[in-house]
Amino acid sequence: MNDSKNPLSPHLQIYRWQVSSLVSITHRITGILNLLGLIFICAWISSAGIGENFFESFSFFLKNFIGKFVLIGFTWSMSYHLLSGIRHFFWDLGYGYEIKTANLSGIIVIIGSLFLTIILWMIGKGLI
Amino acid sequence: MKASRKWIFQRISALIIAPLIIWFLISLISLSTGDYNSVINFFSKPLFLFLTIILLIAGFFHAKIGLDEIFEDYIQDEKIKNVANLLTLLLTTIIPSITIILLLYKF
Repeated sequence: MNDSKNPLSPHLQIYRWQVSSLVSITHRITGILNLLGLIFICAWISSAGIGENFFESFSFFLKNFIGKFVLIGFTWSMSYHLLSGIRHFFWDLGYGYEIKTANLSGIIVIIGSLFLTIILWMIGKGLI
Repeated sequence: MKASRKWIFQRISALIIAPLIIWFLISLISLSTGDYNSVINFFSKPLFLFLTIILLIAGFFHAKIGLDEIFEDYIQDEKIKNVANLLTLLLTTIIPSITIILLLYKF
């Protein structure tokens, strides 16, 4: 940032990204993605409820590359929102407000969401 | 709904969703390569059926509260905000309702 005397309000093109803002906006974006994920889950359940033909079409999509990508994406999105939500719970209880702690917990959420995604897939696939 | 009540309900629903979504995602991943019968068997278990319905209700409810908060922050025009709130209310009630009715009818 420059040293000009007049402070500038954050502008999208010159905004300096920090862990805190990145984790915060990603919490919202994954929240919206998770709603799409819930609708996706409803479609999957409904297809099984309607009949085998519908289910098989949905299954065919789930088993190909795009379907797998979508399912892994939703797993990550939900993992992220879950861990970031736990971070919010700590704040609600009054912990973790120090800048150092907040930055560290933010990084833990980002890295942890990737690990949680892998762990959920390994359990789902019977590898653990 | 009062803002303080939303705050509480958002957290209560989050606590309900957290364990259920972990269980459901693992099940979904496991069933995603399975056949029709494995899915039918899954929902035929009363406990699994019950937990899935609870997850859907808590999940869409949590989503609705979150969306309201986002609209509150980003939509200035009150009229547009009301329309957005109404549309998402319809979306977040009709979709889980249809799914739950289908589940209860089938299993």
